[in-house]
Amino acid sequence: MAKEDAAIGEEERTLLRDTVRGLLAEQWPVEGAVERANDQAAVNRIWRSLAAQGLTKLGFDPEEGGLREILLVFEELGRASCPVPLLSAVIVSLLARRHRGAADGLAGLCEALHAGSAAAAVAFGAFDGDAAAGQVSFAGGAVSGRAAFVENAATATYFVLFVDAPAGVVVLPAGAVMSVTPTPGLAVPALSELSFAGTNAALVEVSAARLAELAEIARLCCAARALGAAQRGFELAHEHAKVRKQFGQFIGQFQAIQHKLADCLTRLDGARLTLDAAATMFDREHEDWRVFAAASLAYAGPALRQVVLESHHTMGAIGYAEEHEMPRHFRRIHADLARFGGAHRARAALADYLLGPAAPAR
Amino acid sequence: MATLPAFDLDPAVSAFRREVREWLSVHWHGEREAMHSRRPFKDRGYDPEFSRLVGQKGWIGLGWPEAFGGQARSPAEQLAFVEEMEYAHAPRGYLVGETIVGPALIRHGTPEQQARYLPAILRGEMSIALGYSEPEAGSDLASLRTRAVRNGDDWIINGQKLWSTGGDKSEHIWLAVRTDPDAKPKHAGISVVIVPLKQAGITIRPSIAMYGKTFSATFYDDVRVPSSAMVGGVNNGWKVITDALAAERVMIGGLVALLQRSLDRLTEYVKRAEEGGQRLRENTVIRDRIGALAADIEVARQFAIRNARLLEEGRTPLYEAAMTKVFAGELQERLGEAALDILGAGGLLSEDAPSAPIGEMEQVLRHSIMGVIGGGTAEIQRNIIAIRGLGLPR
Repeated sequence: MAKEDAAIGEEERTLLRDTVRGLLAEQWPVEGAVERANDQAAVNRIWRSLAAQGLTKLGFDPEEGGLREILLVFEELGRASCPVPLLSAVIVSLLARRHRGAADGLAGLCEALHAGSAAAAVAFGAFDGDAAAGQVSFAGGAVSGRAAFVENAATATYFVLFVDAPAGVVVLPAGAVMSVTPTPGLAVPALSELSFAGTNAALVEVSAARLAELAEIARLCCAARALGAAQRGFELAHEHAKVRKQFGQFIGQFQAIQHKLADCLTRLDGARLTLDAAATMFDREHEDWRVFAAASLAYAGPALRQVVLESHHTMGAIGYAEEHEMPRHFRRIHADLARFGGAHRARAALADYLLGPAAPAR
Repeated sequence: MATLPAFDLDPAVSAFRREVREWLSVHWHGEREAMHSRRPFKDRGYDPEFSRLVGQKGWIGLGWPEAFGGQARSPAEQLAFVEEMEYAHAPRGYLVGETIVGPALIRHGTPEQQARYLPAILRGEMSIALGYSEPEAGSDLASLRTRAVRNGDDWIINGQKLWSTGGDKSEHIWLAVRTDPDAKPKHAGISVVIVPLKQAGITIRPSIAMYGKTFSATFYDDVRVPSSAMVGGVNNGWKVITDALAAERVMIGGLVALLQRSLDRLTEYVKRAEEGGQRLRENTVIRDRIGALAADIEVARQFAIRNARLLEEGRTPLYEAAMTKVFAGELQERLGEAALDILGAGGLLSEDAPSAPIGEMEQVLRHSIMGVIGGGTAEIQRNIIAIRGLGLPR
């Protein structure tokens, strides 16, 4: 059974959305967002501004906001193409919530993240969901292994590593990681690969189930961020269709464009409603919240990727230049939705629920 | 049986859902359902005795105001009810009366019309079909030509209607007629009349639609009805028709429940079947498709829940309802096609074939076309989303 009342009401949620959107519009305006993303000092500045608003604390105190509010903020970050390291802060806050007062290194990091004086990057390793994400193990007071597809590694002052053998997390200051290799590609800023070989560390024991749950929350956060980017890209295409004239009429009068945009709106609404349903069920501690999470990830993956393709089609070559805002959204959406095993993994989770788990591969 | 978990945030809705389920287990599942299933497919979906039972329980007109004999239940409760009834395949032959005619009469009918028809609808005893489409008026309903001409205290009707579901089983038809041939715009010259079908001048020609039940063409040759049969006044029919659509919106959730039922039947089969020594449920392609369908059904359900929420807030879902219909209709096609791929040639077999793996799936596929084209085609729904939802120019 689920708990009933949400701590945060609709009005407060609207206020939160307006606050974050206003802050980002002022300090992370669309113009120059692309160049600014590569400016470490600028990212640090906006990170401190978000901290001053209490936004880096999301996830720590359920009374101040649940997963619905976290996803709402991620949506705004996606919308503004703002690459702050909030994902790691949320994961650390959710971890520290259970370890409050424990002298395990998490509490200190958590405080620094909340103050905006530190920035972290999380490596999910074996819990990532992508087969090539690597694996980190802990033995004899040291960590070894490699972890790929890590975001915000370039600006991180700390790394939080998910360890599967034995299950737990390890916090390392940036200098202690053996190597951080940027892995350029579709994702901007680039993801990175980390490696460790007997790096001294302390393990905070966390159950594998809890780590898997946190990875699922990370997937939802990234899907929400992709939703914000897709929504923004769609709005650009929608506005464009109303003012762009070809063959003597606004292209938005052509049914081919109208139906394309109608389908995009359907996909955006479907993704938003199911993400919100998943977060609502998580906040209510519903025993089947993961089913709702899997449904939203399975739908949002292909749907939002299609939205940005269709938005590009509507914009034509006008949105195709890298200096335009659209490519940033294109990259963000694909990077956020193809990670963590993508929609395929989510569909498999739904099949597990409905058909029972598949036999392990031999 | 594994099925997607319910998404009821309100304990009152969960409690009502349980009550409906328990009632159905007594009054529907068992002998009555078995008897119904033994009837030829084309005759299913209508069970006057069961309709009266639902009426006696007070569950027809769930959302109607109490002053008119309804229960004024919330849209979320209405949605839960519709879902449970559809999931159980419980026949609801009274649906047009309850969801279209009743709400229109409550809003636009005279006290005499209300007194005459509403109690019969609530008892489950009024059968009525819709007479909207014509040979030259489908998506463009405002072009309809069936004429009603004033003659003393009566109207004389001439014309033809098409595709009326239940037209051969109903006592009445809710008929859209042209009362002003020169009206501009065209929809300003339309009126609605309630016409008894068993009378001189009416010919009913049923045919079997591909989903396996009848729909009828009806012909009107100097059919005389009293002026008291007109609902909402002369040339006010467009408003009567479109207002009634609003009351119907929560009903789209019923289709989603039907889809969930179909998916559950499919997963039940996949869980126990084997093919060439391999268990079907281990097949990764099949698992992937089942997962995708389940996600889509959850999306459709969230759309239906949003419609109910908007109604609860006193807002009318316009583009949102169109979105639900497009999505759920096209999802039924995807589900029917996927089932055929998963079941192979066995999926072609109907319930009448003893070796059919799941007899109902080929019917789901045949039925799916209706969800896409009926009640406003997917293209019209996309127009509504584009114009009403996105404000794009006409």
